[in-house]
Amino acid sequence: MMPIWTKSGEKHAVTLLKVQDCHVLRYVSKEESGGKTAKLLVGGKNVSPFSKPESAHEIFKEAGVPRKQKVTTFNVTDDAIIKPGTPLYAAHFRPGQFVDVTAKTIGKGFQGVVKRWGFKGQPASHGQTKTHRRPGAISTNKAAKVYRGKKMPGKMGNIYRTSFGLKVWRINTKHDIIYVNGSVPGHTNCLVKVRDSKLPTYKDCNKNPPFPTFFADGDEELPEDLFDEEIFQFTDPSVTLA
Amino acid sequence: RVSSDGKPPKFQPPPKPVIIVRKTQKEEKRFLSPEFIPPRGRTDPLKYYIERKDMIQRRKVFNIPEFYVGHVLAVTTADPYASDKSNRFVGICIQRGGKGLGATFVLRNVIEDQGVEICYELYSPRIQVIEVLKLEKRLDENLMYLRDALPEYSTFDVNMKPVPRMDHEEIPVNKLQVRMKPKPWSKRWERPKYNIKGIKFELPEHKMKSAQKWSQPWLEFDMLREYDTSKIEEKIRKELSEELEK
Repeated sequence: MMPIWTKSGEKHAVTLLKVQDCHVLRYVSKEESGGKTAKLLVGGKNVSPFSKPESAHEIFKEAGVPRKQKVTTFNVTDDAIIKPGTPLYAAHFRPGQFVDVTAKTIGKGFQGVVKRWGFKGQPASHGQTKTHRRPGAISTNKAAKVYRGKKMPGKMGNIYRTSFGLKVWRINTKHDIIYVNGSVPGHTNCLVKVRDSKLPTYKDCNKNPPFPTFFADGDEELPEDLFDEEIFQFTDPSVTLA
Repeated sequence: RVSSDGKPPKFQPPPKPVIIVRKTQKEEKRFLSPEFIPPRGRTDPLKYYIERKDMIQRRKVFNIPEFYVGHVLAVTTADPYASDKSNRFVGICIQRGGKGLGATFVLRNVIEDQGVEICYELYSPRIQVIEVLKLEKRLDENLMYLRDALPEYSTFDVNMKPVPRMDHEEIPVNKLQVRMKPKPWSKRWERPKYNIKGIKFELPEHKMKSAQKWSQPWLEFDMLREYDTSKIEEKIRKELSEELEK
């Protein structure tokens, strides 16, 4: 994570996400998948093919791509279908866009009720016998049972969570890095799924995004760094407020 | 060895040792700002490389002078709530923290009997000028104990003129031993974990001895805590000098 400054001198914290060897693996049509839209399977980071059996390599062989560590699905409209085997780059996103980021949260192991659910526990003194971080009562008398889903100690973390509506501040096309506002679930160097935001406020946000995606062998030549309009670029002199 | 004469060979004294004086002094004194050295961790070095590119870009446009803890600096920032829209603060640098673009330094001064500390970010675009008024290293790298010292040690004249620097080589070390206010202090500075050499402790002997109970002499031999930055520093120095010459 890094700080970033706007032209008025305000500071924002930014997370760097690297797009590492992303390829489209397969196209699944609407009828085949049984959903409302067609789906595209996309694979992430390259990994050695020797730790999995040959049967698991079929998808990758069809697309002509080395074995990927993670395969995710994206719901896609029919006019945005991409041929399997095309690489995806960070330039697919543009600064000023809003994005949802999904990842597995940091695993904390078996945790008690205070850390996992934020219970207040009991006082440290004034006669409490061996009761400082316990849940206390778990149900009422009349219910005569414990409801399903009662908050109790258990394994915490290591589940998929999404942060919605994160602004993209900057894109580095040379190293394929996306600078996304705020924090993102997961530990450093973990695998992350980045998707256009589905929040209703940001529905009409994208002005002319690269559609269906940014093709590297196309005619468009992008500069190494793409900045949002409000970012203070370090090539400018220091900010002077009028 | 067999001599030609048959007599024992003449004693030849061993060759005198020749001392080669290497010119390492100037190279060691080339200053590398501490925020360039990446911390020990599992982050991808690509992240630090990209941060360094941004930092170098900023340094090309705005001059960040070489300074250490103990220097007296004057910083002018853009302030939206001031009448001139700019704000000048003079103070002694107490600590330098943070790595990469978020590097900070704290300046302390006593203005009208009120101690003021301001934490500035080195790479913030709101900073317009940084001037070094007095060049002076101290015995410690962290002068937080000045909060518990007598206020005369933290007062600096706001309209101080910059002291001219004589040589372009050595930065003088001020071996000043600071006198403290009576206890209680914000931190127990006499304990060995802070390792402070710049305070004149006027505590009784038995207190100084009992403070040594908290010493951890095994820490300096702990091999897992070693972080040798010499090679990393060399690489970064090379990179910096190449980029700044462009």
